[in-house]
Amino acid sequence: MTTETVPATTAPATPKRGWVAWIRENLFNTWYNGLLTLILGGLTVAALWFAVRAVAGFDLTIIKTNLRLFMIGKFPASQLWRPWVSGALLAHAVGLGSGLVHSATRERAQKAGLPYIPSTVSDILSRFWPVMVLVVVILLLTETITPTIMVILVAGAGAGGSYLGRWLPSRLWGWVAVVALVIGGYMAMSAFGGVGWDAWGGLHLNLFLAVAGIAFAFPLGMLLALGRRSSLPVVRAMSVTYIEVVRGVPLIAILLFGAFAIGFLLPEGVRPSQVTRMLIAITAFEAAYIAEVIRGGLQAVPPGQTEASQALGLPPWKTMRLVVLPQALRATIPPMVGQFISLYKDTTLVAILGLTELLEASFIVNSQPGFLGKGLFLVTLAFAGLVFWVGSYTMSREARRLEKRLGVGER
Amino acid sequence: MTQAGLYADATRAKGESIIEVIGVDKFFGDFQALKNVSINVGRQEVVVVIGPSGSGKSTLIRCINRLEKHDRGRIVVDGIELSDDVRSVHEVRRETGMVFQQFNLFPHLSVLDNITLAPRQVRHAPKAEAEEAGMQLLERVGIPEQARKFPGQLSGGQQQRVAIARSLAMKPKVMMFDEPTSALDPEMIKEVLDVMVELAKGGMTMMCITHEMGFARAVADRVVFMADGQIVEVGTPEHFFTNPVEARTKLFLSQIL
Repeated sequence: MTTETVPATTAPATPKRGWVAWIRENLFNTWYNGLLTLILGGLTVAALWFAVRAVAGFDLTIIKTNLRLFMIGKFPASQLWRPWVSGALLAHAVGLGSGLVHSATRERAQKAGLPYIPSTVSDILSRFWPVMVLVVVILLLTETITPTIMVILVAGAGAGGSYLGRWLPSRLWGWVAVVALVIGGYMAMSAFGGVGWDAWGGLHLNLFLAVAGIAFAFPLGMLLALGRRSSLPVVRAMSVTYIEVVRGVPLIAILLFGAFAIGFLLPEGVRPSQVTRMLIAITAFEAAYIAEVIRGGLQAVPPGQTEASQALGLPPWKTMRLVVLPQALRATIPPMVGQFISLYKDTTLVAILGLTELLEASFIVNSQPGFLGKGLFLVTLAFAGLVFWVGSYTMSREARRLEKRLGVGER
Repeated sequence: MTQAGLYADATRAKGESIIEVIGVDKFFGDFQALKNVSINVGRQEVVVVIGPSGSGKSTLIRCINRLEKHDRGRIVVDGIELSDDVRSVHEVRRETGMVFQQFNLFPHLSVLDNITLAPRQVRHAPKAEAEEAGMQLLERVGIPEQARKFPGQLSGGQQQRVAIARSLAMKPKVMMFDEPTSALDPEMIKEVLDVMVELAKGGMTMMCITHEMGFARAVADRVVFMADGQIVEVGTPEHFFTNPVEARTKLFLSQIL
């Protein structure tokens, strides 16, 4: 019975009918649905028309002349080689890291006799096309050939790292190299007569604050999450209080607190710089959210896992480190990426304290003598918005991909 | 304590005992899960615990390795009395292996890593040595070819056999089983029971909650029947399946046999 009824309702599917029938069935099946279709369709077409006309009419001179400000802020022109070297080192580190992960996954899969499908060039293209398109668009806006050559070199460093990471005999040394490259990437910007992070700006500052914020907030958040589950009442109460207080306050309030209160509390000599204060405030804020994400992951691990580990005689900290945390953290990767996306966008808030990050830069260029009063806000804001959207969208797609892979993987 | 008078010989193990449970009470809030429970298990003895769900049999064996903390009475395992001192808990857990109904294998570790985790982390065995011992255990439970796979790739019966091997890797003096075949498909029950029978014949001390009466008949030295948090009747399998005395026991046996 059921074997006959199921295909009967689903099998004569849409491909046979053609799009006219599909439109009739889905968009004009009743008179009010037809009316709604016409109204919403008209609005959509009108919106697209205005958007295309506006973009086509954009005078992109303001972006062309200020591209460097948007990307790296007021970085001294004589030091411009530094961001490129730094970018190449970091791209190499990221490539190497992904290659190492790839090689570890491949080894595990092969030992376990699971199928292993390496990602192809077209996979990479379909995953990262928004970023690639954005990079091409930005390169088209540049006036010299240098940035294009540099981008190709940086991309090459990334691809080379990925290849190296896949075939490196020792993964441990590979990871040591990744750490060294990241430190090198930072040193290339600031060491030996370079520019410290207080003078950083543009998109580079947004990325730095987001990445460093997560990197510092992650261990702190993990401690808070473990503290919240601690059997010691004092530790638990302190963790809960911290998490709930911070989560109850807007980020901007914490940033203002960091900017002004720390300034008042500490004497001149030991007062940290503005960017450092922002980083402290962001870390303090993110830690509370990351703690909650990790707590969710810890709760997702069945209690039987802890019991089995205890029954084997593993002491509590080893049970946590070797049995519970690896499973919990794996479950937190997708929400952690979500947290990272919102932090990436929230870094624009440091603008209120006068730091020239990308959004702030896209405002202030409108007061430059050549562009003052021309009403080019739409152009610059659209550009900044596009840059943020591409980053966030790509990350959220990556998070969904990870979620799928982890879901079917090992549980 | 009716059975104390009637089967005084049956409440005590024949030889020297390795587990002593004396007058244990356990509460979950207001609910009393164990009421003045006393039982002992002798060295190399196989004790099967049966009873309806909620009778406290799981709680009893979970108290013996401190997954639950008993509220009153004494529990002594191989001369070590369980107390709030973490060292006593640690030592007792080293002496006892436990197999769970839901296997509770670590899904992020390969089969061999599941088995070698505790020997390496608790007994500080070198990797090569632990893996060699682990492979021998996998041979013993009949699935050496699965060593590099992950638990999620194995059938239920295979997973439970890995769980048994994982417990044995710590060389426990007592093995406790909490309904090891209840979560398995019928065709996989036998492969797990075969391993357990083999273990019992090899002289392992076992305390086993199960509803597999064939297993009880084949290897149990004594059967314990629990209901409502109390031990109702203790006796040899022969006594149990031919002439049980208590009405509660008769009712239960008539329902499951």
